Amino acid sequence: MKYIVMECHCGYAVVLDNEGRFIKVANRQYEVGQRVSEVIEMQVPQDAAPKKKVNKWLYSLAALAACLVLIVTSAFQMEQITYASVYMTINPEIRIDVNKNDVVVGLEAVNADGDALIEGYDYKKKMLDLVMDELVDKAIDMGYLHEGGQVSLFLDAENDEWKVSHGEALATHLNEYLSEKLSVTIEITDKNQPDDTPANPGGSDYGESDYGEVESSTQTPADTESHESDYSENDDSQTDYKESETTDDGQTDYDEPDDTDDGQTDYGEPDDTEDSQTDYNEPDDTEDSQTDYDEPDDTDDGQSDYDEPDDTEDSQMNYDEPDDTDDGQSDYDEPNDTEDSQTDYDEPETTDDNQTDYEIYSDDEGSEDD
Amino acid sequence: MQSEHRIIKSVYAAKEDLQKADEFIRDFIPFIRAEASKCISRPCSEQDDEFSIAMIAFHEAILGYEHSRGTFLSYASMLIRSRIIDYQRKEIRHQGNVSLHAESGEDELPLMDKLADERDHFEESANREATKREIEELAKVMADFGVSFSDVADNSPKQERTLEACASAIRYAAENKQLLDEMLKTKKLPMAQLVLGSGVERKTLERHRNYILVMLLVQTNGYEIIRGHLRHVLEKKGGSRR
Repeated sequence: MKYIVMECHCGYAVVLDNEGRFIKVANRQYEVGQRVSEVIEMQVPQDAAPKKKVNKWLYSLAALAACLVLIVTSAFQMEQITYASVYMTINPEIRIDVNKNDVVVGLEAVNADGDALIEGYDYKKKMLDLVMDELVDKAIDMGYLHEGGQVSLFLDAENDEWKVSHGEALATHLNEYLSEKLSVTIEITDKNQPDDTPANPGGSDYGESDYGEVESSTQTPADTESHESDYSENDDSQTDYKESETTDDGQTDYDEPDDTDDGQTDYGEPDDTEDSQTDYNEPDDTEDSQTDYDEPDDTDDGQSDYDEPDDTEDSQMNYDEPDDTDDGQSDYDEPNDTEDSQTDYDEPETTDDNQTDYEIYSDDEGSEDD
Repeated sequence: MQSEHRIIKSVYAAKEDLQKADEFIRDFIPFIRAEASKCISRPCSEQDDEFSIAMIAFHEAILGYEHSRGTFLSYASMLIRSRIIDYQRKEIRHQGNVSLHAESGEDELPLMDKLADERDHFEESANREATKREIEELAKVMADFGVSFSDVADNSPKQERTLEACASAIRYAAENKQLLDEMLKTKKLPMAQLVLGSGVERKTLERHRNYILVMLLVQTNGYEIIRGHLRHVLEKKGGSRR
């Protein structure tokens, strides 16, 4: 490349190259008009330098931001990971997914009623306890869960510890929560057996509602309790019947139809189960049983009956007459006292009942003797 | 501080005004030479390449200086140093080639060179005189248009494609002498005709207005030597046409 020097300055020269470019070059003692073959071009520093600095800054900032985003998203993802699931079955069956911190991350219906139950429910960022409470509330509102109903929980987690600890915690929590509103059985199943769980509540409801929470199968407690009640009544009845006058007490006791019902069911043990079944399944079978279980008052009575029906009466008696034990003794010793008390409670109508009572109690005695 | 402030002021003034830049550089020649001497670790004379490189580096420093780049003198000394180092590296790379070249011609070619040089010397000096006269003439005409060679150098196209586009416009003008006459008469660049005739985008030509102007002036009568130097530009037209 040949250059003609066109202009000379102190610091630089302007040259014209073959291709028609004018270039500023280092002035190496050039003279105007001189032809040179090699030049040192001037390189004016671009403004790029400071820009680059800013860019570098931006890059590091962007990298930092990217790291942050990664961390945050991964943390968020971790939050969203399902750690365990709780299957709650009322009749609507739903699955509640929670993460490690017991925050609900997913809610799914297992059956159609479950769909209806969770429709429009927002579970986001709520704790498991809260979601269960609210869902149970909703179930009550929607009529899925009534007095004496049952809620069964099935916990599914890889960690068995979690299952155990949370199973109890959730049950007690729900119990506490529901105790203010309804008496409902909370059942925790170990294995997911959707066929069994709905079958159980029908039987267990009635038995358990009276006696509190029973986690095991329902039939045995019902039996044992009936036995207990039997014996408690028997004691009274025995005392009653040992002294002819005490029969009045028996009368008073058995004035209330519940006792007789209980007695009947109690003493025909094989019949008992039948009765109970028939009671719940076919209301027409025995009128008494129907009234017992359909009308809440009856059940209340029933409870009181089973727990301490006679005792209460006795205690009432006792309170009427200050000496409790005396009464018991007096019953045996002095018929008159009991007569007084009997007379207090005597009601002419009860005599009819008495007869039935006697029959029952004679059976009772017989059974005891056996 | 105060003196630094004054320097910066004059640097900013020198950016705008070539005259002031020249003065400024002249004032700082001792500084420039000192910096260059530091770099080559020997006293630097005005004949050294390094000195001229230091000079142009200082000029670059004037043009490139900004407040954000710190004090001017340290910036300038840094730039001078890096330019000289650049140059020395380039020379080292060159030396391998040159030494080979020199070996073959150390004894013979230099004689030839000397002979050629001496033969050329008279021609060249005469040639240079003629060239110089032409250039001075051109500079005078350019001054009428308010343009200096430095302006043209700043305005000159650097990209190959842009250069080619400008060349096609110049060729079109060279073919149509009446355009050049018109330009000389009106002292105006017939931009519209150039755009129409050459098909080059107006924006491209506008951006290199000064450059086009000078090249068109060169095409007018009386600049045979320069035109000869630039015959590549005009030949390309012939080549492409044929």
